[in-house]
Amino acid sequence: MFNSLRMSMGWVHTWMGLVLGFVLMICFFFGALSVFDREIDRWSIPDTRFKPQPMPSFDEVLKPVFFEKLKPDPVDMAATEKRVIGPLPNPETMELESLFAYTTHRDPVLRVGGEFGIPNEPKDATDDHLHVHGRGTVDPRTGEMLSDDALKIGSEWFYPMHFSLNLSWMMLGYWIVGLAALMMLAALVTGVIIHRKLFSEFFTFRPRKHVLRSSLDLHNVTGVVALPFHFFFAFTGLVIFASNVYLPVSHTTLEPLHEQHEVQEAARTGLPHEEAGVAAPIASVDSMVAEAKRRWAERDMAGEVGFLYMNHLGDENGYVSIYRAGSDRVALVGEGIHFKASTGEIIREDPPRSVVASIDEFLTGLHLQHFEHWLLRWLYVFGGLLGAICIATGFVLFVEKRKAKHAKTGSQGSRIVDAMAVTTVTGMVLAAVGMLVANRLLPADLADKGQWEQTAFWSVWGLAFLHAAWRSAPVAQARRNPAWREQAWVLAGLSLSAVVLNWTTTGDHLIKTLFTDTYWAVAGVDLSLIVTAVIGIYAARKLKAAELAKAQSNKGAKRRKQVNAYD
Amino acid sequence: MTEALWLIAAAMAALAGMSWLALTLQTHRKQVLPAELQQISIRRLKAFGWSFLLLSAVFCFQADHPSMAALVWVMLQAFAAMVVAMILSRRPVLLRFICPPFVAEKVLMVKV
Repeated sequence: MFNSLRMSMGWVHTWMGLVLGFVLMICFFFGALSVFDREIDRWSIPDTRFKPQPMPSFDEVLKPVFFEKLKPDPVDMAATEKRVIGPLPNPETMELESLFAYTTHRDPVLRVGGEFGIPNEPKDATDDHLHVHGRGTVDPRTGEMLSDDALKIGSEWFYPMHFSLNLSWMMLGYWIVGLAALMMLAALVTGVIIHRKLFSEFFTFRPRKHVLRSSLDLHNVTGVVALPFHFFFAFTGLVIFASNVYLPVSHTTLEPLHEQHEVQEAARTGLPHEEAGVAAPIASVDSMVAEAKRRWAERDMAGEVGFLYMNHLGDENGYVSIYRAGSDRVALVGEGIHFKASTGEIIREDPPRSVVASIDEFLTGLHLQHFEHWLLRWLYVFGGLLGAICIATGFVLFVEKRKAKHAKTGSQGSRIVDAMAVTTVTGMVLAAVGMLVANRLLPADLADKGQWEQTAFWSVWGLAFLHAAWRSAPVAQARRNPAWREQAWVLAGLSLSAVVLNWTTTGDHLIKTLFTDTYWAVAGVDLSLIVTAVIGIYAARKLKAAELAKAQSNKGAKRRKQVNAYD
Repeated sequence: MTEALWLIAAAMAALAGMSWLALTLQTHRKQVLPAELQQISIRRLKAFGWSFLLLSAVFCFQADHPSMAALVWVMLQAFAAMVVAMILSRRPVLLRFICPPFVAEKVLMVKV
């Protein structure tokens, strides 16, 4: 089909990159935002704007939260009711079987959850998921449950957007992103093969050259300088979901073995698989936490608790697992220590990991970045944005290469790609910023506020697409789509509005969050919005200048033609 | 605080290393320097460039746990390379200010 390897690789790079580039753009951009998801949460939920807190005392603060305040989730109740025979018991009478509490060095609030037991039999005999989940957010200073109506825009919307597109039906989003990540790896390899001057043009970017040349330069530079980042993030993203989403053999083909393995593992570790059926009290969990911290310090790994899990609550076989917050390592090492819940005696300390497990933990930790390293976090944002620029310039390149030819043949190809490119570049950023604006405009006590914010997000994105498509006619005449410029202006306006709205609705202006009552999470989001506005204004002005220059040169050419014809 | 200083040093070393490696490429030498360098100077530039990238790694390992340091180093190289590319695209002569002495001499000689 093709005369050379380079040409065939070029075909793969161009077409796979184009088709899945729209998805990859989402992954890179929202992945970059996810690095600061907790900070975006603070911005969007003003009630949670206080300093990050360590895991609070279980005995004094969390016990009443779990045994008095945490209730089964009504949505999960309804879903479970469909899978079991007979009605579920009153949620007020359901008892917790297991619970967890989770925090990180960036969280002022604590995430808690648990599984409530039910006596019902399943409709499907193989269904072993016989419990209802409950979840909540707690102020660790007081033990007060915070309203779960407020959507954590960073960690519950932007973050899942980058790996699932927030399309939960049949896990479709995960599969699309997985395919895109796989193609990304292929695009990186093919990109290296087709790049004629990988080393000699390693630092080359010529912004004053023709747009085709300058966009190719930027595409190459952003792709090559961050090549390890692009490769590792696509690869580790696949690794993270490989065993439970993409190749879930342990829950399909090997399901019987999986069950058996759980029982054997329980016997090996001493952490009971089943309840004993004998009631037992819970000893002081705070003492267990103190003991766990003492043991970590002995290993020269002093640290705070990141994750606390209790299973078989109120039963003789109950146990408490305490994991260290892995904020000083890349690898997600919990150094778990497990205690018998009724007596507080140690059942087990997690042994040193095998080589394979260590590699897995490093790769997973590299992607999930639980570490406390602000420079590296910003470098991750930088890498993510380089990836987004690489893909965006790929779109520009595709259109610029073909639009003159398409204009001659009357093809609409370039026009469609350009409209899609506007939608996934400026349109996507507009949707994200538009959501923040909606967050500040909607009243805090509005029922289903999170749902309204999601509607705002999709609506802004949908409008951006309609606008891009409506304004794309010039592309079919080999000219530039004015939607790029217009959306850049709207983006600048929306970004500045978000900063002003944050000030007027919460009183947290930049002078306060930067100098008088420093709160970096909110200041950082505000400053990023201002930078976005500045970039939007700069881009819009540049595009306008380029349009004017083009129009003038066209006018000049036309006049010369007329003069020549007159002569 | 010490960690921050090590990381600043690592970033500076990465920036210097990348700049000098960029100057080993003829296209960029033409942009930055008023006269062509001798082969020996180019080889020395290359050696200096790689050494400073290595030095940057040493500084990263001084600042952090090895697993973290390795990641910081890789990302710093990407950042430094991009900064150098942007300087070369807008104000290439700025790189003259961080030339090693044997290249700076050449610049001064031409000016005189």
